[in-house]
Amino acid sequence: MDYLIFSFSLMLVYIGLAQLLHIQFGMAGIPNFGVVGFWGLGLYGTGVLYVTYDVPLFIAIAIASTLSAAVGYALALLVLQRSGQAVLAATLALSAIIATLIVSEKDITGGVQGLGTIKFPFGDMDGRNIVFMVFILIIVAALVWLSAKLRDSRMGRQLVAIRDNEELAASLGKDTASTKRWVFAVTCGMMGVLGGMSAPLHQFLVPYQLAPSLTFAVWIALVLGGKGHNLGAIVGVFVTFGLFDILIETYAPVPAEQAILLPNFKLFCYGLVLIMIIMFRPRGMLGEDKPKVRARPAEVEGVPHET
Amino acid sequence: MLLLDSIFIGLLEASPLILAAMGFTLIFYLNGFMNIAYAESITFGAYFAILFNVVLGAHFYLAIVPSMLLSGALSVAVYLGIFRPALNRGVGPTEMIILSVGVSFLLRYGLILAVGPVNMFLNEPNITYLQFLGMGATNLQLVALVLVLIAAGTLYWMIYNTGLGEQMRGLANNHDLAMASGINPHRTSVAIWFIAGCAGGLSGIFSGVFAQVTPYMGWNVILITMLVTIVAGVGSVRGAVVAAVAAGILTAFITLVTKPLYAEVILLTMFIAVLTFRGARTA
Repeated sequence: MDYLIFSFSLMLVYIGLAQLLHIQFGMAGIPNFGVVGFWGLGLYGTGVLYVTYDVPLFIAIAIASTLSAAVGYALALLVLQRSGQAVLAATLALSAIIATLIVSEKDITGGVQGLGTIKFPFGDMDGRNIVFMVFILIIVAALVWLSAKLRDSRMGRQLVAIRDNEELAASLGKDTASTKRWVFAVTCGMMGVLGGMSAPLHQFLVPYQLAPSLTFAVWIALVLGGKGHNLGAIVGVFVTFGLFDILIETYAPVPAEQAILLPNFKLFCYGLVLIMIIMFRPRGMLGEDKPKVRARPAEVEGVPHET
Repeated sequence: MLLLDSIFIGLLEASPLILAAMGFTLIFYLNGFMNIAYAESITFGAYFAILFNVVLGAHFYLAIVPSMLLSGALSVAVYLGIFRPALNRGVGPTEMIILSVGVSFLLRYGLILAVGPVNMFLNEPNITYLQFLGMGATNLQLVALVLVLIAAGTLYWMIYNTGLGEQMRGLANNHDLAMASGINPHRTSVAIWFIAGCAGGLSGIFSGVFAQVTPYMGWNVILITMLVTIVAGVGSVRGAVVAAVAAGILTAFITLVTKPLYAEVILLTMFIAVLTFRGARTA
């Protein structure tokens, strides 16, 4: 039972990350291949503050995710106005830098020996892991709701305009560079929050958790579900993580000697599914959803009607 | 002395990287997307060498050529089976990268399912340690360096001095004009993917024989290959060679001065810095 709650909590974290990637890539067109880096800053930032410096958990999460946002903003200043492929390589490089620093700065992070233990908040209460899961659920639900709000807002339309033609959007008087930077920084900060929330889930942190496979798992889920659809992240994570990591790994009757190959088989299938989706249904299972606002005639504020 | 040491060690270490960066650049230049699945050309090169060298018992130097050719054939098969149909469907550059991640997963984990997740070792030829001018290297490293230099030189000559190279540059710069001038895009692309696959395979064989053969070996160098290629500028094979050599020497230098782990951090940070300041010339 505890294991199932752990799996569901982790799945919620994945949904949250995919939802944020939906904002970054699906709406604003920023290919962030360093998801695990921003999540990991939140995870390890929280861990280090909690274990090494005795900071209370929620304050540690707040500080660590501010750090994630700051790093996201700094990276955005450096490379966000370059081409998509450069952004992709730079974010991937950043996540590699973070993973390496976690290993090398072993005085505060515990290095390869790991860092622990991070306890659930709420003391010794019974079922505190369930309470914590509900807590993550609320955060993720808020994220999904907020990104729907964002899609319908003026800001969301501006992001889509930037994604489709940044020069055009800029020529209409939008400060596209600054908008992208702030959206990127805030969403990276939220990835940090999810990282911080993952710290008590994992309890014991090891650098292996910062491997790029998390980034790809989130990308595969989002691309599969539909990168331009607000519910794409949820559907994608259910089909990938929910199906493989929860249903098959927990309930499928696989003999022990084959069981070690199961994660490899899972990634093999992910690869196959990804190829199929890009070839035959590039917009994902759900396709794209349109903002739910009716077109309004342009009105000019502050200019009196001439009669 | 420190400088000489780092240049020497850097060249030895960078020799597989030079080949990988050149092959990666060729595909990037011709088709305009970063092919992450190129990592598997490197890995499979090493595993084909295992097949010939360990399973079939051929001498290491004899195993090089067929493994390299098989790696090239695999690259062509992937191109014809997956990437060409996708390009014909008009998949965008970022989606092509995601697609290549899928291909990479498929090949890598297919390989693990087939041969198991264990590390393997190539049977090295007799190794003697040679020393001159105070610097040491094994004969194998020197042979690798010479072979890589020959291969890189051939590749360079091919791109800038032969008809195939000219056709490739024509196709990359203006696809329609190249076709109107009678260049067969299909044949040129197949040739380029074959050559790129061979270069990747050779790179994998040498990194495999210096250390060990693992299913993740290509994946471990693809990030640095990617960054080298982007920093060099789209499709500049000259730039890729220079950037790969520079990356190798720099890594060796930083490793000699500080901890090896910091070498990676500093190198990656410098790459991000170059991406920032190179501006429009980057990809």
